[in-house]
Amino acid sequence: MSLPFIDVGWARPWPPRISTFTKPFWDALREGRLMTTRGRTSGRLTFPPKPFCPHNWGREVEWVELSGRGRLYAQTIIHATPAAFIGEAPIRNGIIDLEEGVRIAARILGEPVLDGSVECVVLRYTDGPLFAFRAAGTAHRL
Amino acid sequence: MTRRVAIIGAAASPNGKLQTPQDAPLQTLEHEILAPLVIEAMAVAGVPKEEVGALVFAMCRPYTLQKYFATFMANYLRLPLEGGIMEVLGNGMTGGMAFDQAINAVALGHADVALALGINMESQAASAEHAMSTMRATGDVDFHTIFGFTPIAWYAMDAVRYMHDFGATRAQLASVAVKNRRHACLNPIAQFRKPLSLEEVLSARPIVEPLGLFEVPPRGDGAVCLVVCAEEVAKARGTPYALVRGRGFFHDGTHQLSDVPNDMTAFSAAQRAAAAAYGAAGIDPGDLDLAELYAPCTIVEVLASEALGLTPRGRGAAEAQAGGTSLGGRIPICTSGGCLSRGHPAYVTGLLTIYELWEQLTHRAGERQVANARLAAGSCELGNYNAALIHILEAVA
Repeated sequence: MSLPFIDVGWARPWPPRISTFTKPFWDALREGRLMTTRGRTSGRLTFPPKPFCPHNWGREVEWVELSGRGRLYAQTIIHATPAAFIGEAPIRNGIIDLEEGVRIAARILGEPVLDGSVECVVLRYTDGPLFAFRAAGTAHRL
Repeated sequence: MTRRVAIIGAAASPNGKLQTPQDAPLQTLEHEILAPLVIEAMAVAGVPKEEVGALVFAMCRPYTLQKYFATFMANYLRLPLEGGIMEVLGNGMTGGMAFDQAINAVALGHADVALALGINMESQAASAEHAMSTMRATGDVDFHTIFGFTPIAWYAMDAVRYMHDFGATRAQLASVAVKNRRHACLNPIAQFRKPLSLEEVLSARPIVEPLGLFEVPPRGDGAVCLVVCAEEVAKARGTPYALVRGRGFFHDGTHQLSDVPNDMTAFSAAQRAAAAAYGAAGIDPGDLDLAELYAPCTIVEVLASEALGLTPRGRGAAEAQAGGTSLGGRIPICTSGGCLSRGHPAYVTGLLTIYELWEQLTHRAGERQVANARLAAGSCELGNYNAALIHILEAVA
């Protein structure tokens, strides 16, 4: 099932570089799926995705889809942003513990509370996607 | 071969705006600020320049025009060296690592006397532009920087989580800034020496919520030189010195954010490094007379004080508000005024930490002197970069 999309009418302030290895992540996000890698021998997830398992350095990994559901661990509102982000300031960013046991950081939409349930959404900027989180079941936009 | 190492001299510039605008007709030059400090620190040490065998520099900011600054300075000072010369870089630990490497040069017998020194010039770089550089130091450029995180944004998230977990209040956190300003008012090299009230801290414009202007580090410049030597050299002088009693280091193998959920505000690297340092020194945190912490934000001082065992877990902010970490309190923390008010020229902050402990342990700290200061801890603690470098120093009269 696809994550919700939110259209954003401008380009990403600081677009990520894409490598041959990370391209599947960004391609999947564009299609509404949040992906990462799991080590085949360790069985452990990691984020960001890596071409090996950082836990046991196993060289075989597989791409797996994450639910995008989790709980908000921490957040802040950044008023003094780097120059590239002034157009989006103030920005709310946070840390999310996904239900699969992986901690990630991302843009936060709305005003979710700590430990509250959040869901991943795809921000469809004019030049490509970024992921963000909002309180589960709400319609907050950027 | 390892030998006991002492600090026998030090000098520091005032902290603040030393750098000149790019178009100013007269420029301040890094070497013209640092060289007099070397000469002053060596005069305090009372050893001839020929004794210096190694120079360890904190790396300069990219705004410093002169590259290969270390050998440039050796030439400027006409200082041949048989032990070594280098510039070190280790995030916010940079100054502490310069001190650490100078200690190593002496402990390993490469030099009898070594200088740990540096100058950090950055104040003319506009904050939003400077952040374009520092944002690339936080987390993963392609997976975190894309959202606009800045270094202090991670500390702000620590503050939010800490207040949530332990019920600490905004006023308790803010009291750290008030306390540090009170200390800085007594420090001639401090960047800010005008008293600051709790109301001013709480009503300041937000920078990274919940932290406002006075709870995040000021931008500024600074320069420091420390003289370290083998203890026998220090003893032969017959004047007080500070002995390096212990050292601890730990990095937990994560950068900014552990993808395996942990207790982010526990600062576990600082806990481990502190345990190693206390063990090496054969002391408990309760034996310390003061501590100087690397704390760019109010919340960082609170979390580091807890991780080092100076205040109980979850009580650091409350203890600060109650005066326990003030001069005259149970365990004075950041008697210099700390990063918030002494100043935070980031790459030499770790050297300024040791400079303050040197002043306290040799009873040169004037109005902010901790009575009978004998044992002190200095930490360079990387917060959510999850590394810490801690030194324990002892006064020897």
